[in-house]
Amino acid sequence: MSDTSWLSKFPQLERGDLIAIRKTLDGAYREFSRNYGDTIESLFDPLLTFLIWFEKLLIASPWWLTIGVILAIVYGASRSWKLCTGVLASLLAIGILGMWDDTMRTLSIITVCTLLSIGIGIPTGILMSRSNRAQAIVTPILDVMQTMPAFVYLIPVVMLLGIGKIPGVIAVIIYAVPPVIRLTNLGIRLVNKETLEAATAFGATAKQRLFGIQLPLAMPTIMAGINQTIMMALAMVVVASMIGVKGLGQPVLKSITNQYFTLGLFNGLAIVALAIIFDRVSQTYAKRTQKHLGGMNND
Amino acid sequence: MHKQTFVAGAMVLLSSASFAADSCGQVTIADMNWNSASLMANIDKYILEEGYGCEIELIPGDTMPTGASMIEKGEPDVAPEMWSNAMRDALQKGVDDKRLRFAGSSLSDGGEEGFWVPKYLVEMDSSLATIDGILKNPQLFKHPEDDSLGALYSCPAGWNCQISTQNLYVALGMEEAGFDIIDPGSSAGLSGSIARAYERGQGWLGYYWAPTAVLGKYEMVKVDFGSGIDEEHFTTCLTQEDCLDPRPSMWPPAPVKTMTTESFATREPAAYDYFTKRSFTNNKMNVLLAWMEFNQADGEIAAEYFLKNNEEMWTNWVSADVAAKIKASLN
Amino acid sequence: MTSLNKASTDLETLIEISGLYQVFGNKAKSVLPMVKAGKSKDEVLAETGHTVGLRDINLDVKRGEIFVIMGLSGSGKSTMIRHFNRLIDPTEGQIKVEGEDIMQLSDEELIQFRRHKMSMVFQHFGLMPHRTVLDNVAYGLAIQNVDKKERLASANQWLETVGLAGYGDQYPAQLSGGQQQRVGLARALCTNAEILLMDEAFSALDPLIRSEMQDQLIELQAKLKKTIIFITHDLDEALRIGDRIAILKDGILSQVGKPVDILLHPADDYVEAFVKDVNRARALNTQTLMQDIGNILGSQSVESAIHSLNENQQEYGFVSNQDGYQGVVTRVQLEQVAANDNAMDICCDELLIKVPSVSPDQSLQSAIPEALGHNFALPVTCEEGKLVGSIPRSEIAQVLES
Repeated sequence: MSDTSWLSKFPQLERGDLIAIRKTLDGAYREFSRNYGDTIESLFDPLLTFLIWFEKLLIASPWWLTIGVILAIVYGASRSWKLCTGVLASLLAIGILGMWDDTMRTLSIITVCTLLSIGIGIPTGILMSRSNRAQAIVTPILDVMQTMPAFVYLIPVVMLLGIGKIPGVIAVIIYAVPPVIRLTNLGIRLVNKETLEAATAFGATAKQRLFGIQLPLAMPTIMAGINQTIMMALAMVVVASMIGVKGLGQPVLKSITNQYFTLGLFNGLAIVALAIIFDRVSQTYAKRTQKHLGGMNND
Repeated sequence: MHKQTFVAGAMVLLSSASFAADSCGQVTIADMNWNSASLMANIDKYILEEGYGCEIELIPGDTMPTGASMIEKGEPDVAPEMWSNAMRDALQKGVDDKRLRFAGSSLSDGGEEGFWVPKYLVEMDSSLATIDGILKNPQLFKHPEDDSLGALYSCPAGWNCQISTQNLYVALGMEEAGFDIIDPGSSAGLSGSIARAYERGQGWLGYYWAPTAVLGKYEMVKVDFGSGIDEEHFTTCLTQEDCLDPRPSMWPPAPVKTMTTESFATREPAAYDYFTKRSFTNNKMNVLLAWMEFNQADGEIAAEYFLKNNEEMWTNWVSADVAAKIKASLN
Repeated sequence: MTSLNKASTDLETLIEISGLYQVFGNKAKSVLPMVKAGKSKDEVLAETGHTVGLRDINLDVKRGEIFVIMGLSGSGKSTMIRHFNRLIDPTEGQIKVEGEDIMQLSDEELIQFRRHKMSMVFQHFGLMPHRTVLDNVAYGLAIQNVDKKERLASANQWLETVGLAGYGDQYPAQLSGGQQQRVGLARALCTNAEILLMDEAFSALDPLIRSEMQDQLIELQAKLKKTIIFITHDLDEALRIGDRIAILKDGILSQVGKPVDILLHPADDYVEAFVKDVNRARALNTQTLMQDIGNILGSQSVESAIHSLNENQQEYGFVSNQDGYQGVVTRVQLEQVAANDNAMDICCDELLIKVPSVSPDQSLQSAIPEALGHNFALPVTCEEGKLVGSIPRSEIAQVLES
């Protein structure tokens, strides 16, 4: 009977072997972190300095100046007074309810995460769109990034880089960058083939095609990706606060543990308000700049 | 055919009658999500199954939901390691209402809380085992975002200990000494920060508690505030958010109890009797936890390891014939 | 005279394609021997999963002609045209332009070649929706880094040429299909490339606009004298604008020839089935049937005219003087007059029969009424009235029968 036990029971590795594998890998990671942790950490120093500077800038500036600058950006992007009024109202409400500093912290880290995601995502998306092999390699990585529970990589990152902003930014970007990569790739691949062929036929170089045709025409799709990325970054605020990122996530975490429902709701709503501001501004900006691409067909 | 059935039935009746004292029904035990609790749950499971003939079901849980469920629903029957301070009033009320019983202390020394520093720092400079020595050396405890400050890693946001840590930070004059409080966000963040410092031999100062796998694995020294324990002040002021005049005090030991429901205690007196005796010292538990950590063992494996290697301990918890049964099953 | 010259065959060869094969698939090269061995498209697909696009294409395009490649969908015609500027590289074969093998061009040379030698018009226009019409037209020059002022001036001029003056600031989405294709045409012309590739350029347009665009193309071609390679699935279109037509079926060239050859002498059953339903009289213009008139009578005496007719064994002759085509004189009539007045000039109303002439770009159908009421060949005159040829009645009969 014992010879055929594998029929009824999955023939798994011996317990000792499994433990040996796990111990070896963990040990290797510890060794790595011990040997290279400082070096890797120092690579991120400029980013950390910038993050701290930007956060201090947002918090230390007088609140009316910060609101003024935000409104100017909103108006510049959207050209809509209605949207500006809405943004002003939500920022004032946030301030009155005592969440100004936390909101500024979250705003600063989300802004940086978004810019980095765009900086990483668009070139990666371009690479994927130009090579089917790159696409075949990157797609499963993106799937892993989006579905792997954050804590699985958060704690190793904490061991490597400590708690605080940098691991927070890394965690947020890992989760938030896939949409902009995917949609850049998709957007470029969906560019009308004939239009691109036309550019080639007239002797456009690869660079001229990319910047003159592919990126401008993929822009609505890419903007949708950026929008998604911002939303996902904001959704990660609470998770990031679990490794010591200050901002709106910490009060949310606190309220979960202690069942302070109102505190949780207020801070949650502040996150939602930020999300809506980012979303509306980026969408109206996209709509405004892409108007001629369609919808005005009057023949 | 009929004869055989009859004989078999008679044997069942006989056996159940003659072993009535040892018989035991279904028992549910909370399997909490940290190592020491899980270890105890699995030891209890093994002993109750092999020694008392119970049918055990382990139910995953955490302190708050398990406590609440035991009070309100009488399920699960047993919580092997309950840090009762976390919901002291509610549990006490459950005992008063005859719904719960504190069977015994799972950790005889009680849980140990405090500020800790890595042992290698103390070996380098023995004054770092005291708060005075630490206050003089903030530069040893590097703040991740500001080189001019020292860092005190606090208990994660929302936990009770966050308030006492904050109050002690004020009471010990740490701000004036150039320390800043860092919120690690979660227990995983906190232990991650210890692991990082330890692997690189860097300074670390912060709140932690024992017995835990982390303190079993990374040797840390509890910082002496030089104040002794002022339990009265600690409970009335340091644990309160509105503590106006915090004074230094070490953490009093936290009671860590084995808790059962009243119905279990009356239903299974023999098994309940086992729970009144089952107890660990912190030293013993730290060693066990370190073994678990080193071998990446789960509660079940560690329970087997414990029972095989620590006969002198657990045989004191049960009667001789129960011990014999368990020993027989272990071989 | 240009319209006459372009029909003749002794022009300089500009593009030469030989032994061209196109097989689609991962291991195209290894499948090639099978294709060469004559296995059919379906067999190759079933055995290897590769699709045979083109098979042993050999053709040449003369400078200044409109060369039409005609075929149904799936025939490989769109694949074919993309070989001329190497939007698609052949699996095997040679493409020579002005004697230079363009398969040997480096990437940089290829870009220069595309910028200056060839331009292209696309079926669905291929315009850039994010650029204005003017910027679209100037695109070819923009990527050559031509100065902005200069290229916009040039673009404006071409916009005017195609009849879209004043539309420069609009976006393509604001124009109708026909207007968009005019933009496409202007864009192609704007680089001043000698060779124009037109991939089903008018197929997406509705019939009225299409015929308008065909007219415009013929008109422009008369002025610009480009070499045009034109892809179509519409035989009427091919016959209307083509100087020569290549018929492509399943990646194989069935026939290459002048419209009249295709219509009157189809090379195989496929072409024959194809041309069967064509209204020949409408599809062919007079020029395609026109033949040279060997002996044209001038302002001369009856005697010398009779002599001339006798010498060429003609029953009648066309008369043309410095004022152009005048009419027809018959030998019978001349001989009657000769008895009285041998020296009389034949350019007089008593002798001349005023047979009406037709113009060379007129459809045969519209010329037929002029052929009624007499028994002579149909004289063809150009705009200035000059006699350029004639259409024998037998030719007309042959076209109309069947």
